[in-house]
Amino acid sequence: MVEQQLEEWLEDGYVASFRTACLILGNRADAEEAVQDAYLRAWRFRDSLTAVPSIRPWLYRVVVNSCYSKLRREIPHRDRRAGDEPLAQVPGRGADPEASAEQAEVAGTVLAALQQLPLSLRVPVVLRYYADLSERDIALAIGRRQGTVKSRLHEARRRLAADPALCALAGAGDAPRSEETGP
Amino acid sequence: MTMLDDDRLASLFARAGAAFEVPASGADDILARAAGTGRSAGHDGGGGIGDEGAPDEPTAIRDGRVRRLVATAGRHRVISAAACIVVALVVAGTVGALVRSPSGPTLTSSLPRTGLVAPVSGATTTVPQGSAVAGGTSRAAAPLPSNGAQHAASTPAVTTPTPTSPSLPSGAVGQPSKIEQTGALGLSVGRGDLDRTMTRLTSLAGAFGGFVASSQTQSGSGTGGAPYGSITLQVPVNDFSTVLKQAQALGRTSDLTTKATDVTGQYVDLQSRITALEDSRQQYLTILAKATTVGDVLAVQEQLDGIQSQIEQLQGQLNLLNSQTSYSTLTVTVSEGTPPPRPGPVPESGVVRAWHDSVGGFVDGVEGVIRLAGPVLFALLCLGVLVVGGRALWRRYQRHNL
Repeated sequence: MVEQQLEEWLEDGYVASFRTACLILGNRADAEEAVQDAYLRAWRFRDSLTAVPSIRPWLYRVVVNSCYSKLRREIPHRDRRAGDEPLAQVPGRGADPEASAEQAEVAGTVLAALQQLPLSLRVPVVLRYYADLSERDIALAIGRRQGTVKSRLHEARRRLAADPALCALAGAGDAPRSEETGP
Repeated sequence: MTMLDDDRLASLFARAGAAFEVPASGADDILARAAGTGRSAGHDGGGGIGDEGAPDEPTAIRDGRVRRLVATAGRHRVISAAACIVVALVVAGTVGALVRSPSGPTLTSSLPRTGLVAPVSGATTTVPQGSAVAGGTSRAAAPLPSNGAQHAASTPAVTTPTPTSPSLPSGAVGQPSKIEQTGALGLSVGRGDLDRTMTRLTSLAGAFGGFVASSQTQSGSGTGGAPYGSITLQVPVNDFSTVLKQAQALGRTSDLTTKATDVTGQYVDLQSRITALEDSRQQYLTILAKATTVGDVLAVQEQLDGIQSQIEQLQGQLNLLNSQTSYSTLTVTVSEGTPPPRPGPVPESGVVRAWHDSVGGFVDGVEGVIRLAGPVLFALLCLGVLVVGGRALWRRYQRHNL
């Protein structure tokens, strides 16, 4: 029964969690490890779920904390290893080479813009615009007040708007958001 | 510039996220690990949601913290070594302080304890500056003359064996005791009173049958300080205390040192040697009277000359002792305002002075090291606290900004 609960969590949020971690960490291997650690950690402490008002921001909080741990403890102290290439260098999926190239270009541009942001701004903006969390849920996820989240999102938007590559990409006519690519 | 509104950003992020292929076995791996490790195993990560852990996993959390601590110490070797040094110093300082803590009060008085020291073997009384207004009078002091009564309140308290004639039992060595007594007195007088005080001290010595051995006065702007004078009085030993008290009455006593030395043994020894030499001389004179040849006369005469020379030498020493025990030496330094430094001790030989300087330097060095150890230890302790506190605040700040 308990495994069923974990399966539900994974089915509901693994993809989004993994891609959220990818956008935060900028590294696929680290993102996979971070998400795995996060789900196992959440699984171990599932008893405290009774005090959690909403499961979704709680899971994101665990994922974000796991990403923080990666960034703070492991990544600065190790050499780059195989498979740690930036995600933008990984070829996009899909059969159409042109579409894959375009997707890789978008991913590379967004990642480059995100990597210019400090973590305190990167995490809220990813949770807001990729994970589609509300400001209130972001506040729960990062353990900050809603006003703090609002100001950080504002600052993150200001900095992203100052990125010429991102603006050019947005001005070139980005495709409408589809259900397939969203979290 | 194209405006990045929420919709455009969401669209860009969604397309960027879609470019990242999700690992096919990611969810299965998690399920497998969760099923294989159960509740108590799995990745220890950070010990719970965030880093706090959970109360139902104390052992895992503790192990995780220990591992994190060891890993952190391994990454920051310099800070870890500094922390170990600080802890070791603190422990050593604490242990040292406990071991060296005195078990009782330490006596710092340099005054001889009454009853334990023979009063004739040499007594020194020192009245430091500032204690001159303590009130009271010397127990052994002679009554003050009327002209000194108005200064009685400023007379320092002297509670040690007295600077007056010590009470060596007369006849203990066949004759009255011979005591050599000296004293140094620092007086502070009002402005313009230096000459008058020096004159009164000279008169004081004459009034008691003494005399002025030396006198020196220094005044004027070239001295670089307040005018002062120094006068050495030789006064009859029986009047020493009286003269001292009257001298004290001439100003405010800033410093007083008296010393009494028993020279009776030395005196008796000189007398005995002189008597023996005189007996020898008398026998040689008898032999000389019976000498018949020139050679005998010359030989005896040579012996007599040697004996006579020794007698005169010893007699000179005896006369000096007589003078020193008949007259006490009182050196008074008079200053206007602040008293000048006391005259130093009799100059020592070069080797002795060098030895004393060497010993003093060594002691000063040891004292310096001990004196510095406390502040250095305290500084290291503060540094350690700052480092630890700073690291904690920095981590908290980092966590806050994440």
